[in-house]
Amino acid sequence: MSIVLQEWRKCIFKLTAVLLVACAVLAGTAAGEDPQRSELADLLGGNSDEGFKKATAPRSFTFPADHGPHPEYRNEWWYMTGNLDANDGRRFGFELTIFRFSLAPEASESISAWRTNQVYIAHFAMTDAGRGRFHVAERYSRGALGLAGAAADPFRVWIDDWEIAAAGDGSASEQWRLRASDAEFALELSLDALKPPVLNGIDGLSQKSSEPGNASYYYSITRWQAQGNVQIGGDDYTVSGLAWLDREWSSSALGADQQGWDWFALQLADGSELMFYNLRKADGSQDEHSAGTWVSPDGTARHLDRDEISIEADETWASPEGGAYPSAWTIELPGYGLSLKVAPVLDDQELFTTVRYWEGAVDVTGTRDGASVDGRGYVELTGYAK
Amino acid sequence: MIPVVYRANFSYLVRHPWQLSLSLLGISIGVAVIVAVDLANDSARKAFLLSMDAVTGEATHQVIGGPRGIEETLYTRLRVEHGIRSLAPVVEGNVTVDDVSLQVLGVDLFAEQEMRSFTRRSTVAENDDATRSLFRTMLVEPGAVMMSVATADTLGIAVGERFDISAAGRRHGALLAGLFDADSSQGLDNLVTTDIANAQAWLDAPGRLSRIDVRIADGDIAYREKLESVLPADTTLLAAAGRTRTTAEMSKAFMTNLTAMSLLALLVGLFLIYNSVSFSVLQRRRLIGILRALGMTRRQTFTLILTESAGIGLVAATAGVVAGVWLGEQLLGLVAQSINDFYFRVSVTDISISTASIGKGVAAGVGASLFAAAVPAIEAASYQPRLAMVRSVLEQHSRRLLPVVALTGAGTIVVAVCVLALSGRSLVAGLAAVFMLILGFALCVPLVVKMSTALLAPFAGLAGGVWARLAVSEIGASLSRTGVAIVALAVAVSATIGVSVMVDSFRLSVGDWLQQTLQADVYAGVRRGDMDRDLIADFARTPGVEAISTSRRAWLETRDGRTQILAIRMAPGSYAGTEVLDAEPEDVWPSFDRDDVVLVSEPYAYRNGVGPGDDVRLRTRTGDELFRVAATYQSYDLNASALLMSRATYDRHFDDDGIDSIGLYLADDADVDDVIAELESISAGRQDLLINSNVRIRELSLEIFDRTFVITDVLYWLAIGVAFIGILSAMLALQLERARDLAVLRALGMTPGQLGRMITLQTSVIGLLSGISAIPLGLVMAYVLIEVINRRAFGWQIDMAIAPGILVSAVVFAVAAALLAGLYPAWRAAQSQPALAMREE
Repeated sequence: MSIVLQEWRKCIFKLTAVLLVACAVLAGTAAGEDPQRSELADLLGGNSDEGFKKATAPRSFTFPADHGPHPEYRNEWWYMTGNLDANDGRRFGFELTIFRFSLAPEASESISAWRTNQVYIAHFAMTDAGRGRFHVAERYSRGALGLAGAAADPFRVWIDDWEIAAAGDGSASEQWRLRASDAEFALELSLDALKPPVLNGIDGLSQKSSEPGNASYYYSITRWQAQGNVQIGGDDYTVSGLAWLDREWSSSALGADQQGWDWFALQLADGSELMFYNLRKADGSQDEHSAGTWVSPDGTARHLDRDEISIEADETWASPEGGAYPSAWTIELPGYGLSLKVAPVLDDQELFTTVRYWEGAVDVTGTRDGASVDGRGYVELTGYAK
Repeated sequence: MIPVVYRANFSYLVRHPWQLSLSLLGISIGVAVIVAVDLANDSARKAFLLSMDAVTGEATHQVIGGPRGIEETLYTRLRVEHGIRSLAPVVEGNVTVDDVSLQVLGVDLFAEQEMRSFTRRSTVAENDDATRSLFRTMLVEPGAVMMSVATADTLGIAVGERFDISAAGRRHGALLAGLFDADSSQGLDNLVTTDIANAQAWLDAPGRLSRIDVRIADGDIAYREKLESVLPADTTLLAAAGRTRTTAEMSKAFMTNLTAMSLLALLVGLFLIYNSVSFSVLQRRRLIGILRALGMTRRQTFTLILTESAGIGLVAATAGVVAGVWLGEQLLGLVAQSINDFYFRVSVTDISISTASIGKGVAAGVGASLFAAAVPAIEAASYQPRLAMVRSVLEQHSRRLLPVVALTGAGTIVVAVCVLALSGRSLVAGLAAVFMLILGFALCVPLVVKMSTALLAPFAGLAGGVWARLAVSEIGASLSRTGVAIVALAVAVSATIGVSVMVDSFRLSVGDWLQQTLQADVYAGVRRGDMDRDLIADFARTPGVEAISTSRRAWLETRDGRTQILAIRMAPGSYAGTEVLDAEPEDVWPSFDRDDVVLVSEPYAYRNGVGPGDDVRLRTRTGDELFRVAATYQSYDLNASALLMSRATYDRHFDDDGIDSIGLYLADDADVDDVIAELESISAGRQDLLINSNVRIRELSLEIFDRTFVITDVLYWLAIGVAFIGILSAMLALQLERARDLAVLRALGMTPGQLGRMITLQTSVIGLLSGISAIPLGLVMAYVLIEVINRRAFGWQIDMAIAPGILVSAVVFAVAAALLAGLYPAWRAAQSQPALAMREE
């Protein structure tokens, strides 16, 4: 078990989870087979990032080019989450994440179109608040032959028939569509970006530890108007709501003593958004590289240092499969006059994908400068599963 | 009473160990051959099914396409556009490593989860670097493969080691990345799995899939219908189990033939058993007479004999099963080799012993013993107690029976002919008729022998004196014993004649056909795969080469089985190479390129009941199309079910530009060997090709032909072995029984040398009579094998050719076998002391 812990200590970021997912899938490891996890990192054939480009300095972002893939970096993801309401008042949350992973810096030459160094993995989850149910599905594929891939112009990232793609007419703001389905649940949305991309970290360079290159390029589009259809529990619903896009790519981001992270993406009713990732050390204390971004209603962004925000967990939820997750939080941003209570829509929004983590829809209540403000959002919790 | 009787009998058997062991041996050999063939067939079949099942994995269905498989983009369309899951692409083919032929299974590891587990699990120790990065290695390292432990051992390759793989005449680098976490019993030997990208590169099939494996949940009709509705016209969805079955079917006729051969061995064994049991009864008729006089009833006599036979049968069958398992192991290699040569790759090293096979063997042994003992048992039971002690009664009895037996034999032959005429295409009925013919013939032999010995005896007397006359007439007079020996030998010899004439005729026909078909002077081809296009162009420009023909062998698979299409572009004037059987060549060839016509091979025509004017339905790139059959052509191609199509027609209907062999027509003044040397130097380093003159190909083909019939030879020698023991035991028993007569002859002044000569002459005549009487049956058997069995099994038309040498050597062989078998009895008789022999009486 200590090996598992040791491994998990290394697995601080989502990207590490992705590596594990990739390898576990390849190894045919069933989810929840803990003993197998200890060797997952080994299955990478070493964690060497040699040959890959690294996020060492700020860069200039251009769109739509940067919506597309960056295969010279080892890992990358497109993270779309959101909260939806059906016409009849039913409440849903969704997460569609597509990960890209390079197995090697270069693909070897071949006359076969199947030869690639690119692997794609996707997680699709829906929270059905009305029925109190949480659905998860997972896909994996090689990034070749059109089975899975990503393209910048027109933007599209997909795996099998799951995709997030540009649907707009090329006007100033992004218009995308998203679709994903599994046997029990399906989602189809059209998405209109209500704000331009914001760069997280320092001009988009998000430092994850003091090690140089232990960083990622990270931007978000924090507010999308979403509408479309949900099929769940045998019924069809017309839905609308708000969505959030997180985009990140890097080649290495491991800190020796980091345990996991808590990520908050909150959309407030007054038109502002708060993103914060709280990196946890093995001893439970906060890592100094924890940081966030504040986005005003007009779309201007401000970097948040860890000393500008305090996050306290109020409750815990014990996973039936082992491990306890924080389950409600009090968040204070004194500099913004903000005091918030964050609570999950469902306690159990744990993903039993190849790697276990918690990612779910949350409700936000609180005050800003004394006036009441509420909102919704998504929270991701990694490194708690045991 | 009974136990005493049994003890009396038992002690008799113990006192005659030769007799007992010969009986046992005879039955054992018959049983052994049956068990061996059954086990070998069964093991080969099981091994094939096992490896098919392993490779099929959890797939319930497979999407298959045309001659070049499926376009790989279909897979993407199914998944991405139509959202269909539970699919796995496969690129399959054959490669060799150091001349070991391996099946390569190219898979997409991401899709394997639902289909196969062995493609993803390895046994290499956890702390081994190679295992740790296995899956990454399998995807990223060019040429990374996995294989079974046994295969790695055979090839002498360790994990992490690089080696060369040859495919389609080209060499590629490979790396053994891991070993299957499965042992050989799972049908995974001689199989390598690799990433689909490697498989496409090695098999020179970029853009193509061999098939798409599909896993459909039980009763999920909606999924199936959705899938079928989006499949393009040149593909089809087939049940995986059905595909396995139709592949296995291909070798069925071959296996049926083997089984028939084994039954032939048992039949010969049956005579031997009858022979042995008859003697044991005959020799004990005094004992039986005494027992009858002491109050043993007829029923008890009958039961006694049968019980004894059943006991002997059981012991012999047990020994036969043991020997059969051993023999089966020897046969298995030959069977597997033949199947590998002609049907499909099968990796089988261990015989799998099935209760069914053993049961068959035991039942055959015991059943045959009982069947063979029934007649003597009835006979023994019918003895009057007093008469049983009188020798002459027996011979009188059997002589009276002779005409009845012969008549029964004639009747059986008539029935056999009727069965042949009325049974249509049933192979089993054909084989049954062959056995009836043999049986009927066997029943006629004793009468023939009696009549011929009666005729021969005076001549023998004239030529050799009284002892010679005695020797010959003795054969007819002791028919109850010698008759059986003669029949056994005659059946064995006739089998050799029948099979030899058939094989010989077949070989001649094949030779002629090859002569006619191989019109080009030189042929070049690649073992499996496509020939390099540039290479073909370079060959065409080689000095001395005047014209080129090309051919492509493609397989089309449908629900009903697999059809081979031979797409040929003939060189000018080479039409004559194809022998059109049922149409005028001038009606066929003018439209051959232009119209959608095919020629059907003779076996295809026979099997599918089609002929000129009929239509054949084929799945082309635009869906099912009808092709008119222009004629039937002669072909002894062992993958016989073929259609011949012009390349022009083929190109109009199929997406396949592959060429797997070419024929080169040389200028009159060109030297074949020089041209071949030139072609070899042109292709060196580009593609390994098989380049041969037509003469050499003919030789090679006939070598393969001969190898196929090695099995036939082996079984034929076994049948002869059984017959040999039959003669030996008959002669021994005869001498034992006639010990007193011989002693009297000695006492009357016959020298030991004369006595020995007499017995030797007797056995020679037995051999001669057997050999001669075997000829008609042998020829009839050959005829039936050629016209009925071969045709029903393979659909081939063979011209029967009787080489006199076969007949002469059969007779010589029969005499030699009989002579050899008579040596020991003759020596023994010569050694016997007349006084002693008479006193024993």
